[in-house]
Amino acid sequence: MVDYNAMTLDIRAKAKAMLENKEVKYIIGWERGANSFISRPVIIRDAGDTDRLVWNPGCVDNLTRYLVEEMQYKPKRGEEPDLSPVGIIVKPCDSKSIVELIKENIVPRERVKIIAVTNIGTVETNKLRKILQKIPQDKRAGIDILQDDNEFTIKYEGGELKVPRPELLANKCETCVTHNPVIHDVVIGDKIEGFEKDEWADVAELENMSPEERWKFWEAQISKCVRCYACRDSCSLCYCAECVFDKEKPFTWIDKTVDVSNNMFYHLVRAMHLAGRCVDCGECERVCPVNIPIRKLNRLLLKSAKDRYRIYPGMNPEDKPMFGSYDIADPDEVV
Amino acid sequence: MTDDNFEPKIIGFLCNWCSYTGADLAGVSRIQYPSNIRIIKVMCSGRVNPQFVLKAFQEGADGVLVSGCHPGDCHYIEGNYHARRKLTMLSDILEFTGIEPERFQMSWVSASEGKKFAEIVTAFTEQVKELGPQKKLAGGEK
Ligand code: FES
Repeated sequence: MVDYNAMTLDIRAKAKAMLENKEVKYIIGWERGANSFISRPVIIRDAGDTDRLVWNPGCVDNLTRYLVEEMQYKPKRGEEPDLSPVGIIVKPCDSKSIVELIKENIVPRERVKIIAVTNIGTVETNKLRKILQKIPQDKRAGIDILQDDNEFTIKYEGGELKVPRPELLANKCETCVTHNPVIHDVVIGDKIEGFEKDEWADVAELENMSPEERWKFWEAQISKCVRCYACRDSCSLCYCAECVFDKEKPFTWIDKTVDVSNNMFYHLVRAMHLAGRCVDCGECERVCPVNIPIRKLNRLLLKSAKDRYRIYPGMNPEDKPMFGSYDIADPDEVV
Repeated sequence: MTDDNFEPKIIGFLCNWCSYTGADLAGVSRIQYPSNIRIIKVMCSGRVNPQFVLKAFQEGADGVLVSGCHPGDCHYIEGNYHARRKLTMLSDILEFTGIEPERFQMSWVSASEGKKFAEIVTAFTEQVKELGPQKKLAGGEK
């Protein structure tokens, strides 16, 4: 059983020390959410507040998005830029985003202090919502979710519910390649071994369909899109100051109309912009209000990059970016 | 429109230094090739953003051809290597979403290969003609 309590206390202690020693100006972490089982992001500026920080399987957000915002903050006129480091708590998947951000010179390494946790998996909010139906409404206030290698345990007032791991585990965790942080200043939790996977069943499933079936599948999915752009906004690697889809001069790349043609254009371009960069943190799919399997597009490109160019983003800040480098011996297939 | 007299619209992105000159050579040598291709000159095949290709499809193109200098011959030394990576990925994702990747082709044509250019355009036009009109990505009335 993963001891979330001990890890939480550890995180609090480390965060407190960092703030007291003025190593960081603030810490981005998770706190207990209003509904108690899904944690929400919080920014802690005061050492006395560190008790609000928590760590549990409900810490689903990738907090590096806030880091990007901090790095891109433009001081107002007359304001002194504050370049002191920021503390952030990350899961292993989020730590890959940081690697990618360092690689792309968005986050200078010295401006971030990384408190990284090891993690065997977080919950999928959609699945959780269904499972919670089994718990009486009035007993849902103080829910705690625990986890070991095979199952989740949902503790509520006067009872507990055991759920097998696959029924609650986030989809992205099923195919996760690293359960240990790839970059960190402090690691919390024990090293996790034996969970690494090189698993592409979700992509292969579509690849085995006929082109017509594939198109039917995507047409149905993509036509649901309402183009709220939440997938873009939540992505820590979509940091362009002006996004192509917002550009209006000299012309717009995409119509405001929501139809298959425009939606498809949006999703393909979004995926292409993340090719060789996306670390599969799963935020896009998690925030999607209409549950489009966006990660599949990202993962296809992830797989292609790996098969064709032996590139897997987010593992090492020294790696070359895929589209910023080339190899004379690259395959010549489409030619 | 019946399938028999369907004439595909093809957009060609040709690099200024090799392929466009190659196309020019085909012209001045009076080599015949289908008039289905509408050529857009870019400075280098590395300039071709995958977005351009998708936009062309969205605006109703039935096929897109990107052509640049042979590997190693790019005027900007490495533009075509970058183009190759980008557009290979694009072709992968087109295939994955069920859009015929045969509608999209890359080729290397040098300034002296007018004949090769004509052959490529002829073959590609035939290929796209077989596939019929591209309706998947094309928007409404354009
Ligand atoms: S100049 Fe022809 S491909 Fe770069």
